[in-house]
This record gives sequence, C-alpha cells and structure tokens, in this order.
Amino acid sequence: MLCTISRWMVSRAEDTGKPLPRIVERHVRRCGVCGDQARSSASLASRLRGERSALLAEVPEFPAGLESDGEQPRRGSRAADTARPGARRPWLALRPLPVAASLIVLAAAGLVLFRVIPRGTAPSAEDRVAARAAIKMLTSAPQGLQGVFGEAESSLDKERRILEKSLASAIDYLGARLNIKVERKVGPKSL
Amino acid sequence: MAATDPIAEKTDEELARDARAGSRRSFEELASRYKRRLFVYLRPRLGSDEDAEDMVQDTFLKIYRSIDRYDPAYRFSTWLYTSASRLAIDSFRKNAVARDQALASSGTDIPDQAAGREFEAGAAGVWDTARTLGTARYRVLWLRYGEDMTIEEIAAVLGRSRLAVRVLLHRARTSLAGRLGPDVGLAARTRSGVARQAAGD
Repeated sequence: MLCTISRWMVSRAEDTGKPLPRIVERHVRRCGVCGDQARSSASLASRLRGERSALLAEVPEFPAGLESDGEQPRRGSRAADTARPGARRPWLALRPLPVAASLIVLAAAGLVLFRVIPRGTAPSAEDRVAARAAIKMLTSAPQGLQGVFGEAESSLDKERRILEKSLASAIDYLGARLNIKVERKVGPKSL
Repeated sequence: MAATDPIAEKTDEELARDARAGSRRSFEELASRYKRRLFVYLRPRLGSDEDAEDMVQDTFLKIYRSIDRYDPAYRFSTWLYTSASRLAIDSFRKNAVARDQALASSGTDIPDQAAGREFEAGAAGVWDTARTLGTARYRVLWLRYGEDMTIEEIAAVLGRSRLAVRVLLHRARTSLAGRLGPDVGLAARTRSGVARQAAGD
C-alpha cells in the first residue's frame, strides 16, 4: 500500500514540482522497486524531451497551413489561399471533381440534343437566281387548271340533270297512277 | 553578417496576434512551427500518414478562420491542440459511423484502423515505445514532454479534469518505464544520437 502511495507521490512531484513528503522519501530510499521507479521517472522526462527532435525528424515533409509556394498544396490549402478569417471555403474548391463531372455531363447532353452543323460557303448570285426560278415554277398554277375545274363543274350539272329527269318521270308516274295532276312551281329551285 | 528574420524571432503568441491583425506571413510561420508537432500528436489516432496530414491541414484552416477568437492571454499551443483534438474526435466519430455502415452493408469484417496505427520503429526510441502504450497515454506524454504543457493546459486540451490527467500521466510513465526496462534507455539514447547525426542536428 505504501509502495502504491509512494509511486503516486513521486509521479505527482514530477508534475507539480512539489517536494516529496518525508515519509515517502524514507520509503523510496529503503524500497528498491520504488527507488527504481523514482529514478526512472526522473530520467524518463529528460529522455522524452531529448528525443523529441528525433521524433520530429522522422515526420515526412508535407505542405501545411496556407503555404502555396513550391509543390502543389494538398486538400484544403488551395481553398485557404482564397480564404480570409471568418470566410467560408469556396464551394468549388471543396468539390472540384463533382463540378468537373457535372460540366462534362452538361456538355455531353448539349451535344446529344443539339446537332452542330457547320455552315457551308454562301451561295453565288447565279445560284440564287436559279433557286428563285425553281421556287416560282413549283408554286405557279398549271395551265390546264381552269379546264379541270370546268370539267368538274360540268359533271355536276350532268348529275343534276339526270336527277331532275328521274324525278320528273317519277312524278308523271304518280300522277297517272293516282289520277292527279302535279304542277311544277314557277321558278323552281335548283338542286 | 546575414540579417535574421524578425518573424522567426517572435513568440507564438505575438505571431498569433499579428495573424489576427491580418498578417498572413505570421500565420505561415506558425504553421511551419507546428505542422510536424501536430502531425506527431495526431498520427497515432488516425489511420494513415495521409489522414494525419489532412487533419493538420484542416486544423490550420479552422484556426485561420477563427483567429479572431484567439485570446493572447492563453498560450497559442493550447488553443491549437484543443482545436486539433476536437477535429480528430469528430473525424474519428465520422469514420466510426462510416465503418459501421460499411460493416452492416457488407456483412464482412473490416480491418481495424488500429492495426495500421503503429508507427514503424524509428530513431526516436522512447517515443516509439510510447506509441505502443495506446493513443491516450501517448498523447498525454506528448503534450507534457513534447510541448511542455502544464497539467491545467493538458486538461484544457483533452477536455478532462486535472486529476484525470495526472492519473493518465502516472500510468503512462509507469507503463513506459516498465516497457523500457533499465537497459532500454541507453539503447534509446544511442539511437537518438544516430538519428540526430543523420538529420544534421
């Protein structure tokens, strides 16, 4: 029990710088294990402090903070080049890959939706005249068009006459059969 | 006779005050002073060197953005390490959630990050051994002997009580002394000397 307390007191003295109580001092002198612990505790601190530089020498060189000279800064420091105290990191600097991927997708979608056709050379004056003549020829009415319309109309008259004729014969039949006289009104309406 | 850079002679707190006033160069000096120290502090907790470097970057960005809130009455290192510790905890929690989700979706075991957390045995013999004690003990040893922080400052950085820090330090020292043994200290000193010679110290 005294050993445990003594070791704790030795450790406490190491941290706080307070002297050991007399009873602990006496115990440390008499107890071999506690004496070793007290001695190693004292030497351990100097060893740890002494080898600190060797530990730091093992660390590989890497950019840190806001340094942007020399090699390419790692993640974050690029954003820091533009950062100011209290400012947020730019979104683009945070996510360059998604932004680049989005731009590529947009460009691909644009190419699919809109075909890009390169313009040829401008037509010459002769070509323009020939094109106008061709358009005029295509849009002008054919010469026999009026005759076609006349023929179509005469065919209709013919049908009307046939219909009037058969109607008149039907009326004559009905008048003879029923012994009545059917007269035609003046100014008959045309069918 | 070459003129010395006045910025290099300033204390951390003076540099932080200048950085708060808008001096980018002062902040760069602070970053160059602390980046390796922060790396050494954060590396055992994170999975890889790359993660530790990213965490150091994130810490400096956070510090730079909130430099207005720095109070020069306190040590700059305490403020820096407190921010780094909080960021590391956030990152650790996020990684834990991601690992849980991956585990739930795959149904297979994922290698533990701690498996790759051990540093390779290097020239810093005592610190190499300290890394094997576990993250909490290693960090408290680093803050005490690497950064020469007081118990109160360590308690502020780790968000623990002073008593808890003292207990942690006591256990860390006892374990470390037990692992080093009586002869390992000499070996560690020898390796340290070789490393310093190699580094040109």
